Order: sequence, then structure tokens, then C-alpha cells
Amino acid sequence: MTAPGSALLRIENLHASVAGKKILNGLSLSVGRGEVHAIMGPNGSGKSTLASVLAGRPGYEVTAGSVSFEGRDLLALPPEERARAGLFLGFQYPVEIPGVNNVYLLKAAVNAQRNTQGLPEVDAFDFLTLVREKMQLMRMEDSFLSRGVNEGFSGGEKKRNEILQMLVLEPKLALLDETDSGLDIDALKVVAGGVNRLRSPERSCVLVTHYQRLLEYVVPDFVHVLVRGRIAKSGDRTLALELERRGYDWVTGEAA
Amino acid sequence: MSALTARIAQDYAAAELPDAQAAPRRTALEALATCGLPTSRDENWKYANLRALERLRFVPAAGGAAVDPAALPAPIPGFTRYVFVDGRFAPALSAAPGAAFARLQGGAAAAAVRPADGDARFALLNQAFATDGARLQLPAAAGRQRLEILFLACTDSAQGSSYPRLEVSLGPDAQLDLIERHAGAAGAAPFVNSAVDIALGRGAVLTHYRLQELPPRSTHFDTLTATLAARCGYHLHAIATGAQAARSTQLVQLAGEEAHLTTALAALGDAQQVQDAYARIEHAAPRARTEQLFRGIAAGRARVAFNGKVVVAAGAAGTDSQQSLRGLLAGAQAEIDVRPQLEIYTDDVRCSHGATAGKLDDNMLFYLLSRGLERQVALRLLKWAFLADAFARIEVPELRRQIEENLAGVLQDRALKELL
Repeated sequence: MTAPGSALLRIENLHASVAGKKILNGLSLSVGRGEVHAIMGPNGSGKSTLASVLAGRPGYEVTAGSVSFEGRDLLALPPEERARAGLFLGFQYPVEIPGVNNVYLLKAAVNAQRNTQGLPEVDAFDFLTLVREKMQLMRMEDSFLSRGVNEGFSGGEKKRNEILQMLVLEPKLALLDETDSGLDIDALKVVAGGVNRLRSPERSCVLVTHYQRLLEYVVPDFVHVLVRGRIAKSGDRTLALELERRGYDWVTGEAA
Repeated sequence: MSALTARIAQDYAAAELPDAQAAPRRTALEALATCGLPTSRDENWKYANLRALERLRFVPAAGGAAVDPAALPAPIPGFTRYVFVDGRFAPALSAAPGAAFARLQGGAAAAAVRPADGDARFALLNQAFATDGARLQLPAAAGRQRLEILFLACTDSAQGSSYPRLEVSLGPDAQLDLIERHAGAAGAAPFVNSAVDIALGRGAVLTHYRLQELPPRSTHFDTLTATLAARCGYHLHAIATGAQAARSTQLVQLAGEEAHLTTALAALGDAQQVQDAYARIEHAAPRARTEQLFRGIAAGRARVAFNGKVVVAAGAAGTDSQQSLRGLLAGAQAEIDVRPQLEIYTDDVRCSHGATAGKLDDNMLFYLLSRGLERQVALRLLKWAFLADAFARIEVPELRRQIEENLAGVLQDRALKELL
């Protein structure tokens, strides 16, 4: 995959549990700059746990292993510092926060990042121009800006909002946790378009998904299959197609 | 007679009020001598901090405290302001009295406080001692007026007490937007006992903004009574952030059919503050509507309590009442008590209530952190959002700006680190 020294994200022998239950069992993965990795696997294989552990969600205990991000110990950082270091988690279930409006959150997030980089706060006018441009890309109406974060949004709107935030924050690594779930085909195309928009030699992406449908629109460089908390098989995009044809039993059987 | 009521009688004699023998004062004083002030053993008073009463002097403050006009809250465009200092009218700080505003002097305070109502006993205390007050009176079909009554408390309770008094009477179809603000000199430790009495005629509409921003060492007891005639609207927005110990009692009667009441209350407590409120809303006529909302945050070692009781009398068929009461616990040693109560004596009603007391939502917090927000910023934002329901419907831009600025200051300066 990538030479060890140049990996953006490097996960080694990661073990993690939730409420005393072991979910990740020695997972290793390297993601280089500019790469798109898809992580697939049956329900309960640990896909979302991996995303949560990387983003620092409370309640997940790492019992062994290490994760480095640009050479830094990611697990030692609180979630907000991980975000400011350039990690973005697209939530499987985006949270509704009535009373906090979208534009406020976007601006606070951008300014938090700029503050870390020693930059002054973003100019209000430039910021709105930028957000509106990205909103157009995500086919979101202007009224969205003044609404509460995800408040009363449909499932598809919530996912589009996640991608919008990602586009505005321009993370080094986007970790998208089942962003495709619950989307109809039109929304899926919009979301995929947003992800593709971010692709560049500098930015990397980890797509956690159950189905290969998203991968028709966002073509990954690597596909990994997670089984019982570790990567059981890796390959290129053809692995996803093969999984689609043969089902997860094919890999889980081999891994057993 | 308890030691407390004996002290009240003594202070009353010492006060040498010019109209000490006037009927409303004597009636109030005698009623107090009989029933006394509430104690923490009274059902609706167990969360109030009544100990402050042991130390203060009931005699009205002498008045004449110097107030720097520049230190007053910025005026709200479109609102005519009248100022009272330690319960006394301050003409130099006020607009010229107009048709809608009249001064209530001495024992002229004639509002009929029902002595039988045990929860209105602090209004009796006000009636006995108040030396001044405001009467706002609009005739039938008066076009919309906008007034602000600013009550400033500047004298420490050891020297004397402040008795703000406000009577509002709207004729049929009259409309009033009213700001009632309680504030004071920064370092003062006053005792403020306010009484507000509201009578709304048929079809009248009162939008009432109440801001309790008293200095941190104040004690505040407040009684608001309101009677709503048919098809009138009373819309109350109350925000309490100040005082050391505050208790607000609201007694509202929907006396006419299809009257409409909305109340949105927000209370913030930190350090050792007590913010206690009790609202009794009585539906006495058919097809009246009530929407009651409360949002309270207790941080530090504060206690924030709200007890909202809705009584639907026999014959009040078609009543529609909704209560949404939420408390947020923002300190390991803080206390939140929210309590909805319903008493229904008729069949055909629609009453709903929701009451919650809890901590900030972990998922919301993580969501904000995952976007890179500082923990302190995220917590503040979530508290803000929690309160937002309570002031979202304030439609006076400058007032809203002042409220938001005050809340932002309160949320920022206080001990947030104890949260979660």
C-alpha cells in the first residue's frame, strides 16, 4: 500500500471494547495521502466502532495498539483536537441540536480550526459566500443556514449536511461512517459528488459502508473487509464487486 | 403572631407612613398578622429561600439614592421608559407621565389581593408598605402602546426595603407591549418585594417582558396576579438571572372564554443562587388556551425550581393546556426541581405536560467536539440552545439583543467546568 513513513493514518494492532465487550481485535491499516479506502463488512464486524474510536467518541476503550495521524499519537488527543488536526467524522446518525443554527456551527468550527493554525477569524462575508457555494453543490436551500443543526431534517438532508460540513472544513482525512445508508439514488449521487469534490493528492478518505453501491460513484483505491474486529481481506475495487456477488459469507467463512 | 409578623408590625409602626391608617394598608397588614408569611413548610414554598427574611428591615428604603443615568440599560427604541428607584418614582430618569402612565402614591394602591390566597402573601406585604408605584391604564380599543418600567434597587436591606408596584389595566381590545425590568446598583444587597397586578379586558392583548437582573446579593420576592377576560391574550416572557435568592409567584386566572395565555420562562442559577418560581394557572371559563414553557439551568451549588400548576375548573370545557418544563443540571452540587401539576374538574379538556430534568446530551456534545469546537464553547452553545426556546419568540430586536448579551455574559463567566 503505502510506505510506512509517509502514511497519513497508521493503525497498528488496535484492540477496543465497548462496555466491556471486545469489538476490535488487532486491526491494522495504513492510509496514505490522497488515498480513498473503503471498509466493508457484515453488521457487527466493528466498522462503526473503528470510526468512533478514531474520532474519540466517549465510551470506547482502547485496550491495545496504536493510531498515529501525521506521526502524532491520535489516541492521546481529545476529540476536538483530532478534528482540528484535520480528522473529520461523518456521522452515521447525525445529531439534531435544536437552538444552535447551522451557520453558527459551521463558523465556530472553521474558526476553531483557523485558531489552531494561528489564522485570524474568517471574514463573515467571505465565509457566507463560501458556504453558499458548497451548499449549491449539495443542493441545499438557503433557508437551511438559519435552521437548527439537523433539526427536523430528513435522513437524506442530514447526510448532505455532513458532507457540506466536510467540504467547508476541508479535512486531511474524512472518515465517513455509513454516509450512504438510507439514501435514495439521487441523494447518493449528490453525496458522492461532494466526496469526490474533496479528492486530491493531499486529502484522504475512509468510507465505512455496508454496500458497494456508494463505491460505484466514489471509486476507492483500496477495499478492506472487516470481520470480527480485524481486516480479513484487502484488495482493490474489484473486491467490492466480488463481495456483492458472493456475499459476506464468502469472507467470514474464510476468516473462521 | 410569629416573631416575623411581630417584626413586620413593629417596622410598620416605625415606618411612619403618612397614610398608615389608609384602608388598603391596614387590611393587608391585618391579613398578614393573621396568616403570616409563608414558611418552607408550606407546600408551594419549600424551594424558596425564606431565611433572608430574618435579617432585613421591612421599612421602605428612604429613597434619594443617586443613580447615574449612563449606568441604566440602553433604552429600547419605541418604548417609553419610567424609572423607579427603591420603589419610588424617579421623574428625572423618566419620560413625562402620559395618558397611559399614572403614579400610584401611598396607600392608593388598591389592587384587591385575595387574602385567602396563601400564595399571594408577599403581595400583602407589598400592599402594606409600598409608597409608590405605576398604574398603566389603557381605555377600550386603545392602539398599541409600548412602555418600559424599570425598577432599580440601590439600598441594602439593612437600611430598608424596596416595594415595586405595578398595576396594569387594559380596556377591551386595548394593546400594550410592556417591559418590566428589575435591576440595581452593582454592589448593593437589597430586599425587593414586587407586586404586579394585571387585569385584561375582553379582547385586550398584553405582551409582557419581565427581566429579573438584580445584583448578585439581592433577595427578590415577586407576586404577579393576572385576570384574563374573554378572548384576550396575555403573552409573558420572563427571564431570571439575577439575585441571590429569588422567588416569583404567578397567579393567573383565565376568567373569560377563549382567553389565551402563553408564558415562556427562563431561569439561570449558579454559585449559591436560588431561583424559585411557582405558577398557578386557573382555567375558569370554556375554550381557553394555555401554553407554558420553562427552561432552567442550575450550575455550581444553585437551586432552580419551577412548580407549574394548572387547574381546570368545572365548566371550563374545551380547555387546551400544554406545559413543557425542562431543567438542566450543570453542576454536581446543583439542584433542579421541575414539577408540572394538573387538577382537572371537567371532562372535555386537552391537557398535556412534559417535564424533564437532566444533564446535557452527550451525543450533542460529542457532535460539536468532533467539529473542532473547544469544549467550553460547545458547552456554552448547548446551554444557549437549551434556553433558546424560552426567548425565541421575543419580537423586540433591541430587547432581544440585550437579553442575549446578558445571557451570553452569564453563561460565559460562570463555572462551566463542573458540567458533565
